[in-house]
Amino acid sequence: MRLTSAKTRIYALLSASALVTGIIVSVPVAANAAPACDGKSPVQSCVGVTSDGAPYSMMVPANFNGTVALYSHGYRYNIDIPVGIPLIGGYKVTNTPEPIPGGNAAVAQYLFSQGVAVMGSGFARQGWNPDSAIKTNVELIGEFKAKFPTTTKVVAWGSSLGGVITQGLAEKYPNLISAAAPMCMADNIPAELTMAGDFLWGLKVLFDPTIKGGNYSAGAAGNAEAYGDLVKVFTVMGKLQASLSTNAWPDTSSATGKALAAGGVPPRSALLLLGLMSGLPTQSAHFDSIRGPEGALKLSFPLAISPALAILENGTNAAALAVLATQDVELQAGGAIFDNTMTDYAARIENERVIFNAALSGNTVIEALLGALSTANPGAPRAVGNAAAIAKMNALHSNTGKINVPTILMTGVADPITPAGASQRIVDAYAQQFADEKLAAFAAYKTTRSYNGPTNKLLMLWNMTPSKGYTTFTDAGSPITTTPAASGTNHCNFTSAQLVLVAKSLVSAGLTGKLPSGGPIVSAGRKAGNLVVDRNFSVPLLKYYNQ
Amino acid sequence: MKAMNRRRLISVSAVLAVASLTATAVPANAREVGVGSSEIKLGMTLPMTGAASLGYNKIPGAAKAYFDYLNANGGVNGRKITLIVKDDRYVPTEAVAKTNELILKDKVMALLAPLGTANVKAVASSLNPARRGVPVLFVNTGFSGFADVKKYPTTYAILPSYIMEAKIMGEYIKDNFAGKKIGLLYQDDDFGSDALAGFKTAGINFAVKVPYASGSQGAAAAAGWITKFKAAEADVVILFGVSSATSAMLGTAAVLKYAPQWMLGSVGGDATTIKLTGVPAGVLYNAIGFSPVPATTDMNDEYIKLFSDIYAKAVPGSVFDLNVLLGMNTAFMTAQALKAAGQNPTRKSLMAVLNTKGATLANSALTPVGYSAKSHVGLTGYWVGKYSPTGDLLPLGGTYVTYTTDSGTGAVVKSTYKRPAMPAKGLPN
Repeated sequence: MRLTSAKTRIYALLSASALVTGIIVSVPVAANAAPACDGKSPVQSCVGVTSDGAPYSMMVPANFNGTVALYSHGYRYNIDIPVGIPLIGGYKVTNTPEPIPGGNAAVAQYLFSQGVAVMGSGFARQGWNPDSAIKTNVELIGEFKAKFPTTTKVVAWGSSLGGVITQGLAEKYPNLISAAAPMCMADNIPAELTMAGDFLWGLKVLFDPTIKGGNYSAGAAGNAEAYGDLVKVFTVMGKLQASLSTNAWPDTSSATGKALAAGGVPPRSALLLLGLMSGLPTQSAHFDSIRGPEGALKLSFPLAISPALAILENGTNAAALAVLATQDVELQAGGAIFDNTMTDYAARIENERVIFNAALSGNTVIEALLGALSTANPGAPRAVGNAAAIAKMNALHSNTGKINVPTILMTGVADPITPAGASQRIVDAYAQQFADEKLAAFAAYKTTRSYNGPTNKLLMLWNMTPSKGYTTFTDAGSPITTTPAASGTNHCNFTSAQLVLVAKSLVSAGLTGKLPSGGPIVSAGRKAGNLVVDRNFSVPLLKYYNQ
Repeated sequence: MKAMNRRRLISVSAVLAVASLTATAVPANAREVGVGSSEIKLGMTLPMTGAASLGYNKIPGAAKAYFDYLNANGGVNGRKITLIVKDDRYVPTEAVAKTNELILKDKVMALLAPLGTANVKAVASSLNPARRGVPVLFVNTGFSGFADVKKYPTTYAILPSYIMEAKIMGEYIKDNFAGKKIGLLYQDDDFGSDALAGFKTAGINFAVKVPYASGSQGAAAAAGWITKFKAAEADVVILFGVSSATSAMLGTAAVLKYAPQWMLGSVGGDATTIKLTGVPAGVLYNAIGFSPVPATTDMNDEYIKLFSDIYAKAVPGSVFDLNVLLGMNTAFMTAQALKAAGQNPTRKSLMAVLNTKGATLANSALTPVGYSAKSHVGLTGYWVGKYSPTGDLLPLGGTYVTYTTDSGTGAVVKSTYKRPAMPAKGLPN
C-alpha cells in the first residue's frame, strides 16, 4: 500500500522517460549470414546477425547515394525487470536493432529523401557494452559494404551509451567512418558510476540504510538485491516528495538522518545537497529553479524549493540506471566498483553551497549535513570498493576525446543521466588537440616553409533550457508536472527538428569533410529549437574529475 | 628556456586555435563584441521586481541617468552607451539565464554591476565569463573572493569587502564599547562568513551570535532574534544583513520597545530601502552606520552635487539615496575606463585599463579601489556615522574620518587618501 502510494506520486512527478527506445525489426535466424533483404521499394529492409550473435537492420532507399548512417542505440538494462517494480517493471531484455534514433519518422524521411541508407545493431550484450559494441559495428560496416558495394561513405551517430560507442568507433577506426555525431553522450564508466554511486550512497546513509547501493551479489541473488534497491529508492523519493510539504524526514531515515531531522535540517535541503555533491542538474523536466507561483512563494519557491524538486525529479529519473548500471558493471568487473573512502564532499560543493545557499538553508545546515556525510561520522560509513574490480572497470573501453573525423556533439545542458559535462570533456580535449595540431603545423612550417594548419573538426550543439523559465503552476499555486519535459532537460530529450539538423550536418560533413559553420549553423540551431553554438559556452565536468 | 618557449607557443597556438574555431572569420578591422560604430552595449542583471528588489531596482535607473547625461555630451569617443537591463529577481538560476541572453543574444561588451554573491558566483561557474573574456565590472557584493584574480580574472569588485567592514566595525567597537556585551545578527552564508572572519580578525568576542538563512527573515523571525539578544543582555547589536532583515529587526524592536545600541552594516542600512518595507526611517535614529561614499545629503561634495542634479532631472521625484549614488558612481567609472581603453575599445583593453589605471579613476568614494594585475579588490574603507531622525547617515562630528584596511590580517588605519577631483562636468577626459 505504501509502495503503491509512493509509486503514484512518482508517476505523477515523472515525465515519460526515454531510457528504452527501439523500433520493431524482425530478427533473423542465422548468425553471420549475409543480410536478408526484402527488395521492397522505395526502401528495402535487410536483416542479419553478426558473428557475435547481434541482430542488425539495414534500410536502403532506392535512390541510395552511397552514404549510410550507422546508429548506435543507448543503454538497455541487461536484466529483466519484474512487473512489480515501479516505473520500469515489465521490461524484458531485448537486442532489437535500432537503425534510426527512436525510430523517428522525420529523421528517416529526411535521410531516405537524401538517398542515405541507415543501419544499426541491437548488440550482442545489453548493459554497458562499448568494448563489444564497437567490434560489432566494425563488422556491420563490413557487412553493409559487402552487400552494397556502391557505398562510399559511412557516417556514425548514436545516443547516450550509443554516443560513447560512436565516439569510440571514431577514435579507434577513423578510416571506417567519415563523420560522427555522438548525442547526449555518456561519459566514461568510472565518471558515470561515480555520479550514480554518490547519489545512491547519500540516499542510503541519510534516508534508508537498508538500500544496498552496490556490491551486489552475483546471479539471481544480485538481481533480487538490485530489484529491492529499485523499490526502496523509488519509495524514498516518493516520501521525499511528500516531505516538501510536511518537512518530515522519511520514516526509513537512518540514525544520522534522524539526528539531522532533530537538529532542524529540512529534508529538501539534504536531498539538494546529495544532488549537488553528485553533480545532478538543478533544472529538471518541470522545475526550472526560476519561476514561482503568484503570491507569497513567488521568490522563495525558485530560491528555496525548486532546486530540491529538480533534484527529486532528476534523481528519480536517474535512479533506475544508477542501480542497474552499477550492478551490471560490477558483474563485468567482479566486485564492488564504487569507493568513496577518499571523497571530500565539502570540496565537491564549494561553489554550489554559495549559489544554492538559501535552498540549502544556510551555512549552519550545510555544515551539519557535510559533517553527517564526512568520514568522521561512523553513522555514515563510506563505501569501500574492490581494488581489482575497480581496476577492471577502469580497463573497460574509455574514450580519450581524440577527434579524428568531423564530429558533431549535441547534448541537453540539464540531462540528468548523461550530464552535459561528458560532452564538455570532449570539447576541452579537442581544444588541446587543436592547439597541438597547430603547434605541429608551425613546426612543420619551419622546415617546409609551407603552412598547413588544421581545420576545425568539432561542432558542439548545446541544447539549452528556456531562459525565461518553464515551471507552470495551477491557480492554487501547485507546480504542474504533466506537461512535456522542457527543452534541454531529461535524457536525450531531442525534438525531431534537432535530430534532423544533426542528421543533415552529419551527412554533409561525411561528404565534404567540413562541418557547418558560421551564421548558417547558428541560425539553423536556433530554428531547430534552443540549440546554441558558442565556442565559449561551457558546463562543469562530472564531479569525478574534480575529486 | 626551451620549455618556456614551448609554453608560450602553446599559449599562442591555443589562442589561435580558439580564434579559428569562431563561427565566422573575423576581419582585421572588426570591432569588439558590443562595440558598434556609434554605440557600446553594456548589460546588467539584478532584481528589478519582487521582494528582493527594494532599493536595488534603482541602480539601473541611476546608471542610465548618468549614461544619458554622458551620451548627451558626446558619449565616449563619439559612441553612446546603451545599458540593457534584465530582471533576475535575485534568483541565481535566473541570473544565469538572463546573463546568457546578454552575452549571446544582446552581445554586450561587458557586464555591469550584477548584484548578489550567489548570483555572481552562479554566473561565474555556469557561464564562465572569464573563459569568454567578458568583463564583469563592479559587482555589487562585498564578498571578498571576487577580488581573486586567479579565480575570477575578468571580475572587478567595487564595494569594500565584508571582511574589511567587519574589521573596521570591530575597531570602532573596541574604541567605543569596551566591556559592553555585543550581539551579532548575520546572514548564514558567504556574506556572513566574511563578516565573522573580519570580526575574528578584529578580536571581537560576541555575547551572542544569531544567524539567519537567506530568505527566512521577517517579523516573526525577528521576534525570535530579539529574544536571543535580550537573553544575552546585549548592549550593542550589530545587524550585518540585508535591508529586509534590518527593517524586520528594527520594525519589530520598535513594537517590542527593545532598544539596544544598533550598529548597521552598509548593505542593510539604507534608509530609503527600509522605508519601502513600511518601517519608518525614524527607527534608524542614533544607530551607528558605515559608508564608503559621502553622505547622499552632502551637497557640499562635488560628486554628490552633480550626481544628484543629473538624477533629479532624469528621474524627477525619486530620492537620491545610497543605491542611486552607487549606480551613478559605477556608470561614471565605466565611462572613464572605456574612454581610456582607446578609440576602438576592446574587452581586453578595457580590463587592461582597470588593471593599470583603475585605482586612479575618479569616483565619489572616500577610499581608493585596489585594482592591479594581481588583485581586483574594490574600495578599501569606510567612514563612521550616525543616523539622523530622518534616516540619513551623517559623519560623526560632521567630518569624514575614513578608515582603511584589507581583507586579511592588516591593521585598520586612518586613511590618508586624497580623492581625485571630479573631471569637468563629470565627463571622462
